[in-house]
Amino acid sequence: MSKTKEKNNTQIDFSSPEYFTNREISWVKFDERVMGEARDKNIPLFERLKFLSITASNLDEFFMVRVASLKDMENAGYTKPDIAGLTPTQQLKELNGLTHELVDTQYSTYNRSLLPLLKTNGLTVVESHEELNEEQKEFVDRYFADTVYPVLTPMAVDSARPFPLVRNKSLNIAALVTEKSGDNKNGTGLFKRGKGKKKTNLPVEFAMVQVPDVLPRIVNIPSKGDGKSVILLEEVIERNIDKLFLNYTVVCAHPFRVMRNADLSIDEDEAEDLLKEIEKQLKRRQWGEVIRLEVEAGIDRRLLGILKKELSIEEPDIYFIPGPLDLTFLMKMYSLEGFDHLKTPDHVPELPKYMSLDKNIFEQIKEGDILLKHPYETFEPVIKFVREAAKDKDVLAIKQTLYRVSGNSPIIAALIQAAENGKQVTVLFELKARFDEENNIIWAKALEKAGCHVIYGIVGLKTHSKITLVVRREEDGIRRYVHLGTGNYNDKTARMYTDMGILTCAEAIGEDATAVFNMLSGYSEPVTWNKLSVAPLWMKSRFLYLIGREADHARAGREARIVAKMNSLCDPDIIEALYKASNAGVKIDLIIRGICCLKVGIPKVSENITVRSIVGNFLEHSRIFWFLNEGNEEIYMGSADWMPRNLERRVEIVFPVERMELIEDLKAFLKLQLNDNVKASLLQPDGTYVKPDRRGRSVIDSQAECVKEAAKVAKSRKNSVVKTRTFIPERSPEFNENGESGDI
Amino acid sequence: MKIFAAIDIGSYETGMKIFQISKRNGLKQLDFVRHRVELGTDTYRTGRISNTHMDELCSVLEGFNQIMASYKVDDYVAYGTSALREAESTMIILDQIRIRTGLNVKVLSNSEQRFLDYKSVALKGGKDFDELINHGTLFIDIGGGSTQVSIFEKGILNSTVNLPLGILKIRSLLRALEPGRSKYIELLNEEIVNELFSFKRQYLRDKDIENLVVIDDYLPYMMQKFRGAGAPDEVTAESYTAYTDEIKLKSAEEIAKSVGIAPENASLMLPSAMLINHLVKDTGCKRVKIPGVTLSDGIAYDYADKAKVIKAVHDFDMDILSCADVISAKYKCNGYRQQALLMTSLAIFDNMKKIHGLSKRDRLLLELSARLRNVGRYVSLSSPAHSSYSIIMGTEIIGISHVERAMVANIVFNSFTDEFSYADFNNEELDADQSLRVIKLAAILHLSASLAQNPKKKYAKVMAALKDSELLITIQSKSDITLERGNFNNRADCFEEVFGIKPVLKYKGVNEI
Repeated sequence: MSKTKEKNNTQIDFSSPEYFTNREISWVKFDERVMGEARDKNIPLFERLKFLSITASNLDEFFMVRVASLKDMENAGYTKPDIAGLTPTQQLKELNGLTHELVDTQYSTYNRSLLPLLKTNGLTVVESHEELNEEQKEFVDRYFADTVYPVLTPMAVDSARPFPLVRNKSLNIAALVTEKSGDNKNGTGLFKRGKGKKKTNLPVEFAMVQVPDVLPRIVNIPSKGDGKSVILLEEVIERNIDKLFLNYTVVCAHPFRVMRNADLSIDEDEAEDLLKEIEKQLKRRQWGEVIRLEVEAGIDRRLLGILKKELSIEEPDIYFIPGPLDLTFLMKMYSLEGFDHLKTPDHVPELPKYMSLDKNIFEQIKEGDILLKHPYETFEPVIKFVREAAKDKDVLAIKQTLYRVSGNSPIIAALIQAAENGKQVTVLFELKARFDEENNIIWAKALEKAGCHVIYGIVGLKTHSKITLVVRREEDGIRRYVHLGTGNYNDKTARMYTDMGILTCAEAIGEDATAVFNMLSGYSEPVTWNKLSVAPLWMKSRFLYLIGREADHARAGREARIVAKMNSLCDPDIIEALYKASNAGVKIDLIIRGICCLKVGIPKVSENITVRSIVGNFLEHSRIFWFLNEGNEEIYMGSADWMPRNLERRVEIVFPVERMELIEDLKAFLKLQLNDNVKASLLQPDGTYVKPDRRGRSVIDSQAECVKEAAKVAKSRKNSVVKTRTFIPERSPEFNENGESGDI
Repeated sequence: MKIFAAIDIGSYETGMKIFQISKRNGLKQLDFVRHRVELGTDTYRTGRISNTHMDELCSVLEGFNQIMASYKVDDYVAYGTSALREAESTMIILDQIRIRTGLNVKVLSNSEQRFLDYKSVALKGGKDFDELINHGTLFIDIGGGSTQVSIFEKGILNSTVNLPLGILKIRSLLRALEPGRSKYIELLNEEIVNELFSFKRQYLRDKDIENLVVIDDYLPYMMQKFRGAGAPDEVTAESYTAYTDEIKLKSAEEIAKSVGIAPENASLMLPSAMLINHLVKDTGCKRVKIPGVTLSDGIAYDYADKAKVIKAVHDFDMDILSCADVISAKYKCNGYRQQALLMTSLAIFDNMKKIHGLSKRDRLLLELSARLRNVGRYVSLSSPAHSSYSIIMGTEIIGISHVERAMVANIVFNSFTDEFSYADFNNEELDADQSLRVIKLAAILHLSASLAQNPKKKYAKVMAALKDSELLITIQSKSDITLERGNFNNRADCFEEVFGIKPVLKYKGVNEI
């Protein structure tokens, strides 16, 4: 290193807060990028609905977990600044402004852009029940009487009846009611509620009713013309609310929704039975501290006053919503029939490039490591791996980690079958997978009942790694087959998330996989790992070493480069190492979908770093790390982001890809992502993201290209198979059951 | 091909290794699980194993059962070591384990345990190990309750000693004193120096030690940290000292974080590291080898060795015998008399195979008995039988079990008695089969001893041959054996009673020996 550079380096404090972006603010920027998709006129209308719905569900989760956590810190008097130098109070203040802006954008998009377009395209969303015509009114009232009324539980508040529990995320209608005077008691009494207020001098009482989540939020109603008309369930209830409070006059009624602190606080050390403790905590989630209140814009101030008081919420945490509360219903709207022409055609995952679905999977793995690219390629090989293992007479044991699974998981079914077939089945089912806890408890119990050995996670750590080990007794001894992935064993999300996986029987990885499960089962860690990097004990130092090694190459005047793709980057030590590497001359290209606390373009700190975020039809989810290493390139994939939680508080696995053909494939994939100029946004030095300048360049949508490429490969394989065979084999029955379209 | 599980119930950890054993590929480790169960903290403090630890142990063993089932293991061997051995109610504990887990656990004597550890290093090292011990080598086997140090010179086990330097014991002792960090290191050093003092004077004087071979559960982690994955398991003495100097400045938590192990394990690594550091300095050795084997490796190697699946380069029986030679030399009974006794008894044993039905291991016990028979004469000329018995029972002979040691002591004792029979033989430590073997071997030794009474008589050759119902024993010597013949005839009846064969002595003079 030159003397000048050394001098410069000694002056730079790479950990200075000015070099970091606050992670929560960065998250809001991510949701803004998702919003960008909802606002993109080039995207089919119904896809835009979906993106808007995603921004809403994202925001819900953000409040329930991140904002809740900051509030906890604030309440506890915690004032330590984060890596960007902001205290919890400062962060909350900043976030308040940003989230209010985000909500404004959501509703301006919905009201001004999407609703009119929906109407133009034949779907009328009746925003207020006052807008219904007579035929529709009659339909709505009948629907209310027949279907809705029986499941409603109206609740009034008075001295004998305390303020009811308002469940987290539930949609409710609050009302002010007054007792009818004698004259009025037997009157026709239908209260015509306006959106505004009805002044009355009579004493008012608070009443509320929860909009039932057992009924569809979107109600189809008779249409005025050719198109379809729908109204939201809360409007149906509001129209008929006086029927719930007989003998009362409803002064006003407005929907509201609360968001509660949903971060589970489980004392795992003290919990004797983790399963029972989580079940208990899940119930508590329903009455955590209220951290956000959404009310209809124009709500009666008296009603708002009661809600504020009873829910103990401050004005800045109240969101006045100029439209329907809880936009996640748009995902249901996406599913309405008859609008396929307004959606991107359904993607059908292709047959995998490196394997055939009609041959024995173990024989194929023995021929060489297999790379799987979801959702471009079908998830079926992973299911087949577990299914075949369940049936194979030579398989002795199956071990798997599960974090999030689908509702009717074929993986779980295969594991149960394996246990029934006498295989030793060990499953680490992570009960602490946030918002999937209840689902996971049900599955874990089902597996246990079938005779599987179920481990409910590890005290103090979340097991986020994606690994399956199959132990098989073969002629020449025990052979271990391993699947390692970047995404969950969830066949449903595997159609929407971009993830990678490998199937291998490499002995070194098999040994490591065994050690991983031993560790997860509560046994001691091994002295050494052959190939895998495992968090929380060993992974971070490994990454720091790999980044540092590139920096050393650069300092020695050798070409040095890192390309890393992940969901989030916010680990301060890793960021500092990247800054040092950039300073040393390493060219670093990062593909980070979500949070990024690293800043680009800081002179002498991050001049050599680029960050791009790809937000597209599929959720970018794979984690891939490539290091040039003086030409002896190394490429890793895994379950971990470069976040403290992944590197220090979770069990994560990162694995090397060593088959040359697969390395080339992955490099081409990374190159494609780096060239994306449709769905990518580039991080700017000021923290904003901008779309790349496409002028004079060909349009590259990396996800669309991957879809095309997978189709091309599948087609060529299909043709070659047909040409070389004298007969066309029947489809595998398992394959057909799942409705996949493979016909090799 | 066989799948074999080796289970080791240690003082602070219970572990299991699963091996694939085949003639073609030898031993291949498939799995290794360990769980911390500090049985030793109970035993060393109270002499009993608490119910909590017992429950924990059984739960771990249940887990092992599941893992064994997942490999469909063909066979297993489970051994308990010092914590179980030193517990007051070992038999009850073993019975509980059997009832609760279905596992049959046997307790190893210290010498058996150390021998298995040693065997694993030797078998893993192959020819390299034999080359290593051609130079002065200290073999240090660190345990929770004690540490076994064996000295090799010129390829032969020279001596072995058990030091009360168990890392769990040291840690418990020092923790109870609650010293600060620097004081802890000071006390640790003091404790090690104290315990090594006599050992150094007795065993290390004039020894040229080049190598230290260390068996320890946690030092391999330290090697891994400093040397990197896949590096050789050997470092120079200077490097080793540098590593230790670096970790000794850290707290258990810091060591744990830096090395990548749990803090409770790190707290056991430091005493081991410091002990070896002292031995590095005391011996002035050139290199330290930490092969990272465990007792489970030894169990598996022993299993494979006995099943003749693997062929050992090293002769382990020679180690046992060489150890016995060191003992007999110590008691000045390693002269011609011992030689004559050995020649005669082995000649009889080898030619009576069809009659006695004893095994190769029994031959080794006979050989040991012959080597140690006269150790008691050094203490008492009037009652050598009792003295020899006591010395043998009180001396650790590496490589044999406690029961085998009792057998040797009884063989020796009875070889002094002219009137013994199976009916009279009653020993609480031995079962019927063992007692019968003792009687047979004692009968051989008893008869042989009649020919090995003069410390100056040297035999050129001793031959034995079965003919009809007689065992012809031919002595080739230039010395007169009239006196021996008389003794022989007196003892022949006893031999005949045991084997139903009449021994007949023949003499063949030689001109020159």
